[in-house]
Amino acid sequence: MIEPDVIQRTLGAALAAGGDLAEIFVEDRTSMALRLDDSRIEDVTSGRDVGAGIRVLAGDRASYAYTNLLTEESLRMTAEAARAGLEGPAGSVETDLRRVVGGGHPVVVRPEDVGAADKAATLVKANDAARSQGAEVRQVMVSYADVRQKVLIASSDGRLAEDDRTRVRFAVQVVAARNGEIATGFEAPGHSGGFELLQRYDVEDLGRSAASKALRMLDARPSPAGEFPVVLAPGTGGVLIHEACGHGLEADTLVKEASAYAKRHGERFGSEAVTIVDDATETGLWGSFGVDDEGTPAQSTVLFEKGVLVGHMSDVLSAEKIGHPPTGNGRRQSYAHLPIVRMTNTNLLPGDDDPEEIIRSVERGVYAATFAGGEVNPATGNFVFGMSEAYMIENGAIAYPIKGAQLIGNGPRVLGVIDAIGSDFGRKEGVCGKDGQHAPVTNGMSTVLLGKMTVGGTEAG
Amino acid sequence: MTQDLLGLATDLAGRAKGGEVVEAFLTHELNFYVKVFSGEVEALSASEPRGAGVRVFSEGRVGFSYTTDLSAGGRGAMLDAARENASFVTPDVAIGPAEPTDGPPPEIEGMVDRGQEDVRPDSKVRFALELDRATAARDKRVRAVEESVYSDSDTEIAIATSNGIFGTYRRTDAWCFSLAIAEEDDDTQVGFEFDLARGLNHLDAVDVGQRAADIALTALGASKIPSARMPVVFEPFTAGQFLGVLGQALTGEAVQKGRSLFAGRTGDTVAASGLTLFDDGRLPGAPGSAPWDDEGVPTSRTDIIAGGVLRSFLYDSISARREGRASTGNASRSGFKSVPGAAPSNLALESTGQSRDELLQGAGKVLLVQDFHGVHSGANPVSGDFSVGVTGMLLDGGEIVQPVKEVTIAAPMLEILSNIRAVADDRRWLPFGGSFGGATTLVSEMTVGGL
Repeated sequence: MIEPDVIQRTLGAALAAGGDLAEIFVEDRTSMALRLDDSRIEDVTSGRDVGAGIRVLAGDRASYAYTNLLTEESLRMTAEAARAGLEGPAGSVETDLRRVVGGGHPVVVRPEDVGAADKAATLVKANDAARSQGAEVRQVMVSYADVRQKVLIASSDGRLAEDDRTRVRFAVQVVAARNGEIATGFEAPGHSGGFELLQRYDVEDLGRSAASKALRMLDARPSPAGEFPVVLAPGTGGVLIHEACGHGLEADTLVKEASAYAKRHGERFGSEAVTIVDDATETGLWGSFGVDDEGTPAQSTVLFEKGVLVGHMSDVLSAEKIGHPPTGNGRRQSYAHLPIVRMTNTNLLPGDDDPEEIIRSVERGVYAATFAGGEVNPATGNFVFGMSEAYMIENGAIAYPIKGAQLIGNGPRVLGVIDAIGSDFGRKEGVCGKDGQHAPVTNGMSTVLLGKMTVGGTEAG
Repeated sequence: MTQDLLGLATDLAGRAKGGEVVEAFLTHELNFYVKVFSGEVEALSASEPRGAGVRVFSEGRVGFSYTTDLSAGGRGAMLDAARENASFVTPDVAIGPAEPTDGPPPEIEGMVDRGQEDVRPDSKVRFALELDRATAARDKRVRAVEESVYSDSDTEIAIATSNGIFGTYRRTDAWCFSLAIAEEDDDTQVGFEFDLARGLNHLDAVDVGQRAADIALTALGASKIPSARMPVVFEPFTAGQFLGVLGQALTGEAVQKGRSLFAGRTGDTVAASGLTLFDDGRLPGAPGSAPWDDEGVPTSRTDIIAGGVLRSFLYDSISARREGRASTGNASRSGFKSVPGAAPSNLALESTGQSRDELLQGAGKVLLVQDFHGVHSGANPVSGDFSVGVTGMLLDGGEIVQPVKEVTIAAPMLEILSNIRAVADDRRWLPFGGSFGGATTLVSEMTVGGL
């Protein structure tokens, strides 16, 4: 995207007043999105966003500037803005840039090669399938989005990395209503790859599935509040691991001791069955990439091994502070953002328990079928998750749907109440927000039994 | 800068072909950001992003495209893409551009702090350092300050359409926040506080830092309380977040498409009698104010709920045309890369007249809610379900009984509105995905889920 000699001179300008490391991140992002709402294709949008960000690291300080203009003059001015405030001898730039190439994620059908009419047809199919589930389906919104993001990262220590990332996501949201009761259902698969996502998933199945979730939840009774055993459905429960365990193991919070896991390496948090891994290398997953946004190759990092805290995730800056090589978790939303430590695909590895037996073992409890999302305070580890689809378990069987259920607890403690892990591993794609930046992530988990949790709802226990 | 941006907008609008209306929307920002940790600058960013988005309207269709490449070639490619995108849209008589009004709308006072131009970057860095210091120095139990941030922007916005809308305005914004971590006897609590204004000279680093520390300090020793039905008081901070969820259900588009808990309830009593909920895009000093909205329609005040009765929703041009009415000037975009949609400008409840102290003293035993957890998953503007985790204080007649954590509160949102007994006169604006005026608010009964 930019000639090597221009990169060299730009990095030289960035280090002209000192600093330990200069880095340039160049991005060319093209995207297309279609949205169907109220049975009409309402929005067809596309665009191109090109820019470069320059970062100068000096001690513990990162200064940053970015531009939309990729001319050499504009890059030089951006480099000067990024080094503002530094007053030292010029730093040196490694002249022999070593190219880093991460593992690719195959794109079978390039989204650019698929006509907008074909993309629009998938929306119509999903809409029709969702509406065919009954007159109680009142509204359907279907969206399709593809993004191609080409990045180039070069730094004064000689790193030069490129990645070409294509992601596709398809989402169906259904609103159902009956006698003043309103319920929603949602399906939103995505991957790193091309339009073949919609060959792997039948868009009509996605429409029907979102509709049937909404219809089932029309019968929901108010959730009880109190302490209960909670069974997490495969896939969806992974967000709990992401929020409750993952965020506190991002090294930027660890080095600030703003994490409930700080200085607890080697401690046991869960049973032998609990192993948690963050893995950006898994082929074609929504949270995968070839190299991270600092040019470090994607890798797999074990966070908890057999219940014991053994790992963390880092970017270049936090790795330096923690005295450990970066784990390839430096990600940024775009050239307009500083890289920060982020998760990629975070999994609680499957166990040996029979999922049906796990449900049978619960006398009275909550079955969390779909989490709507959640959040955690990394410093305290406290988390809250909302369930958009949940059921009461009575006498070892799923009894009836409940609404308004919230799961509330503490990250370091929750691993200790994992009493069973099923063999039925599943994943869910999501978008994680941190410091105002969004990143595509996948969370994976089997059916899991949490022995005793606080559930928030509208009815006394 | 003004001429340049408006010139590019009018140039794009001028390239409309017969039967088309072209709308061009451009922004040019000067942004600054500094983050301090442990007495040192940790991150600093300066940038000047620009970009354009165009909508092409033709025969009941609309297509959109955006670009950061403002060269003649980049602008042409954007226009071609928007034109092509329009051809795949389902035709609809409601789809069309905003209608021009007679002359430009009056300006809003105080959108620009002229003094902000003279604030040098090193003053901004000093401000963030002072914020960090004030937070850390508040009490020895403040173990760390996770981050202290100062940020500002100077934004020029220009719009032009081939049917006669054109204009440009400028706004300056400055904001700061601090995140304190307090620790005592193995208990860790966090405190977040922020402030925002048109310029740095109107922000107080010491005040914000001390308040962030105080929030964390007063929460030390928090525990669960038993599950119960009891009165709840929202702090301005949480009341504003509640309005943020409510706001998603208050647009004409959400109602037309059945994605609102208020659908089909116009004219009904949906809140306590005497309660007024309004949106006002022209309030001087409020962060969501602008002379015109993101389609170029003059902003206005809309009474959404008056005397407890649902009166109106918020509209952009397309959703208004669908009901044969006028836009309320509530078109909003998250930037030049986004198509506009209706959203609140400055949304708030009118105060019922009490001071915060009067409200708390008269309320008896209440759960004071200082922070929500899991709002985006636990609050549903379509079904009206509201169930979130909270931290706060158990109060009796305004006196602290104990700090509270790891409990949930829940009630249908319409029930919450009906149970609002008082809105104090201490409104502050919260810039969380919009601009929401939160004030200390008493709700007579909610379900608290704890032990």
